Amino acid sequence: MNTILRLEHIQKYYGNQGNITKALKDISFSVEAGEFLGIMGASGSGKTTLLNCISTIDMVSAGHIFLEGTDITEIKPKSLARFRRENLGFVFQDLNLLDTLTISENIALVLAINKTPAQSVEPRILEMAQKLNIHDILNKYPYQVSGGQKQRCACARAIINNPKLLLADEPTGALDSHSAQMFLSTIQCINEQLGATILMVTHDAFTASYASRILFLKDGEIFTELRKGSENRSAFFQKILNVLTIMGGGQSHVC
Amino acid sequence: MYAKLVFRNAKRSAKDYLVFMVTMSICVTLFYAFLSISSSSYNPDIGNTYDFTLLSDGLKLAVCMITLLLIFLIRFVNYYMLRRKQKEFAVESIMGMEQKTIGRIFFAETLIMGVISIVIGLFFGVFCSQFITAMLLTSYGKSYELSWTLFPDTVLLTVGFFMLSFFIVGFQNTRVIQKTKIIDMLSADKVNEPELKKSHWIIVVVILFELFTAWALITGSIKVLFFYDSRFAFPVQFMYLGNILIPAVTLFWSVLWRLRKKKWGFQKLLCGLLACSVLNAFIAASVPVLTNRYYLPLGNGMLRQYLLFVLIDLLFFICALIYLASSFIVTWKEKSPEHRYKEENLFFFGQIISKLNTTSKTMTLICVTLVLAIFLFIAAPILNGWASGYLEIHSMYDVQIFSKYNNIYEEKELLQDNYEIVTDFLDKHDIAAAFDCTFRLYLPRKKDFRHRIKYDFPIVAISLSDYNAIREMLGYQQISLEENEFTTQWKTIATKEELNTFLKENSTVLTDAGTLTQASKSYYEEAIGETVYNLYTNVLYIFPDKVCKELLPVMQNRYIITTEKITYDDAHKLEMLFMTKYSEQAENGATYDVRLRTLQINSTIANNFILQAAMLYGAIVLMVICLTVLSLQQLLDAGQYQYRFSILRKLGVEESRIEKLVFKQLGVWFGLPIIAAIAVAAVVIVYFIQTISAEISAYIGLTELILQIGITVGILSILLVCYFLSTWILFRRAVNL
Repeated sequence: MNTILRLEHIQKYYGNQGNITKALKDISFSVEAGEFLGIMGASGSGKTTLLNCISTIDMVSAGHIFLEGTDITEIKPKSLARFRRENLGFVFQDLNLLDTLTISENIALVLAINKTPAQSVEPRILEMAQKLNIHDILNKYPYQVSGGQKQRCACARAIINNPKLLLADEPTGALDSHSAQMFLSTIQCINEQLGATILMVTHDAFTASYASRILFLKDGEIFTELRKGSENRSAFFQKILNVLTIMGGGQSHVC
Repeated sequence: MYAKLVFRNAKRSAKDYLVFMVTMSICVTLFYAFLSISSSSYNPDIGNTYDFTLLSDGLKLAVCMITLLLIFLIRFVNYYMLRRKQKEFAVESIMGMEQKTIGRIFFAETLIMGVISIVIGLFFGVFCSQFITAMLLTSYGKSYELSWTLFPDTVLLTVGFFMLSFFIVGFQNTRVIQKTKIIDMLSADKVNEPELKKSHWIIVVVILFELFTAWALITGSIKVLFFYDSRFAFPVQFMYLGNILIPAVTLFWSVLWRLRKKKWGFQKLLCGLLACSVLNAFIAASVPVLTNRYYLPLGNGMLRQYLLFVLIDLLFFICALIYLASSFIVTWKEKSPEHRYKEENLFFFGQIISKLNTTSKTMTLICVTLVLAIFLFIAAPILNGWASGYLEIHSMYDVQIFSKYNNIYEEKELLQDNYEIVTDFLDKHDIAAAFDCTFRLYLPRKKDFRHRIKYDFPIVAISLSDYNAIREMLGYQQISLEENEFTTQWKTIATKEELNTFLKENSTVLTDAGTLTQASKSYYEEAIGETVYNLYTNVLYIFPDKVCKELLPVMQNRYIITTEKITYDDAHKLEMLFMTKYSEQAENGATYDVRLRTLQINSTIANNFILQAAMLYGAIVLMVICLTVLSLQQLLDAGQYQYRFSILRKLGVEESRIEKLVFKQLGVWFGLPIIAAIAVAAVVIVYFIQTISAEISAYIGLTELILQIGITVGILSILLVCYFLSTWILFRRAVNL
């Protein structure tokens, strides 16, 4: 299997010299093509900082990130936007859909920004919509559809351009449990059937159980790693809970 | 404690209040500058031939009326501030501050800012009032010096007016804050335009327009019924029939739409009505034009009614156009995928369409107001030029006495008087006359005495010696005539075309003393005043003295030029004296009137000045209101825009492209109402100029006119660029560029 993403000794500091906060201390890992990687950790463990660094929204303080061999920490700021739109897809917690556009237009926007020829835009949207089961709401506005549908639309938007890496930041955070379940099945389907590489940040064990491998972050460092292997999801879920208990237990055992 | 909070808040959020303060300062500046003239301590040196009280009262009234518009603006700016500060209010109330107190603190803050604005405004107002004084003294023909005086009564009035409006608006705001729920305040900047649903005001507008069209149809039918004649020239016939046909088509379209309502969308109805409104405006506008050209017997009331129709058609045109603007964009977007899917166009269209849909009413109002402002701007100098040009021609003599015979029906009742009363008065007041000429005006043929049809009124004649005496008075060269010859004198307003046709058709004139032939120099155009011509005519015959002796004198005029100017008081007394003796419309129907240059100039300049100042003030106020509202509308939504642009950024759009998008969006937002307004205003102005083209060429001159329009356009562009740039800068800051 070929490695698509490789992180080498990533560090990220905030603040000035007198008062430095180390958000990421020394993180190295790699992601294989077609992998569904989950990153878990409590609030303040550095999950989102890590994601921001990978997505080039934030700059690392030290270390290197390679995406298919390209060192993205070396890309000039001017070319970053272009790099982002050509290589990465995003799904955010707060959906980030434009309420002035219909669902289909929201998806089309990404293609248009990437200068896709006009005649191929609509067929591609339709194809994607059918895969994600949103073809009958294409002409509705975001405020007219449910949260789950919105998140699936956001997902369609993120993968329509065949990004090398799909980044998801707490994608189920704003959904009710039923919608979350539906959405996660969709994501899994994208991963398995379309072969998309996914990196998902979450603090929810249930959501994480859909991933094939999970990295646990604690205070800016990798605490441990968990692989699903051939286990079923409920067993994997149980394992995750165990790890979380150990992680959280570090301090609570004191008293 | 609270006082400290207020001051600290005010200090810290000074930047937020920038728009508020700039707008308020402009309002105060304008208000003070224009009102300063009406101050009781204002005493410009305009000499004893002028009286000033007439002007100040009129101006005070005009300024106050227009200023009422400013209250609207103050309210809007306050609303903007309220929206901006919602989140702050929420935090304060969560901390446990009472909403009543929050309201009061906000009120105190705005009051501080308001007071600062008043001070700044007054400071600039003092500067600006100098311009107004300069304008005033120039119109009285005096030189001026700059002087820096603060007029206490005007200051008091300004402070009073603005404080009162702050208190009224502040009271309302406090109530609004008290009634808002905390949760709504917290999420105020997250609320998107709730639903992209169009408001229904346009339906009301359509119904009103249909009613007016029905009225136009009825008026058109009545007109045809009473006035139509198949012998009319083709354009007139076209006008008569068109005024029935086009309104009928408009109504027919509405009925047709109602029958097929389900198949045709509302937009189809509106598109049709839009086209009809243009045709309607065109055909209604042709009524006054053709009435003037062909002397149609339609009363003034009817003309005014048709001007009203034109106005309504234009208003409807603006409403429909702005309402449909988003539909046009949607249709265009649907029809051309290559544009739709080109880079960020989708986003851009989304922004424009959503904004247009939710604010079409405001946009329409802005557009209409802009049309009014532009029209006022351009019409003010034209009307002013017209009036002062007219004044010059009107008041060529210090004393001008003239009579009319159109209400006398018996020849013997024609009075022969030399107006000795005036001579006595002048003697008594030691006013020496440099020139004094009493003369008669004759009818070429006696039988024309009873000829009283307006468009075919008889032309009167003057004897050669009297004519030469008048020419001498005005410093023109003497003329001579052979026996049995005549020549003509023309009013300034007469067109060259009219003159040529007349001379061609009248190479001889039949008189009671025989036939006269046209002299080799057949016309004179130097201005000799307007009272020497008969009613409704633009030409005067000049006959040899011998001929005139045998004709019937119908009018008796006397022109005097004094060695020194008559003072305002003397002029007033003389006028009163004359009026008591020859009260207009004497018993037998004769009309005598006196015109004194002093009085004429005084009242004309005063009226003129009030008119011009009021129009300019109104235009600037309207313009400022429109531009402020336009710019605030964009800044109000900056919170939303920040979110939307951040999505674009996350999707990987470069900053430079986002910057371009912002520019494009603001361009459309400012451009649409302004271009629509300019287009409509241009039509209105061209029509206006067309209607008074004779007056313009007679009293103003084309180059002067173009210069004036050029200056106006320049000022407007500067104002526009200023507003656009400042909005652009604030907007960029708001979306973090």
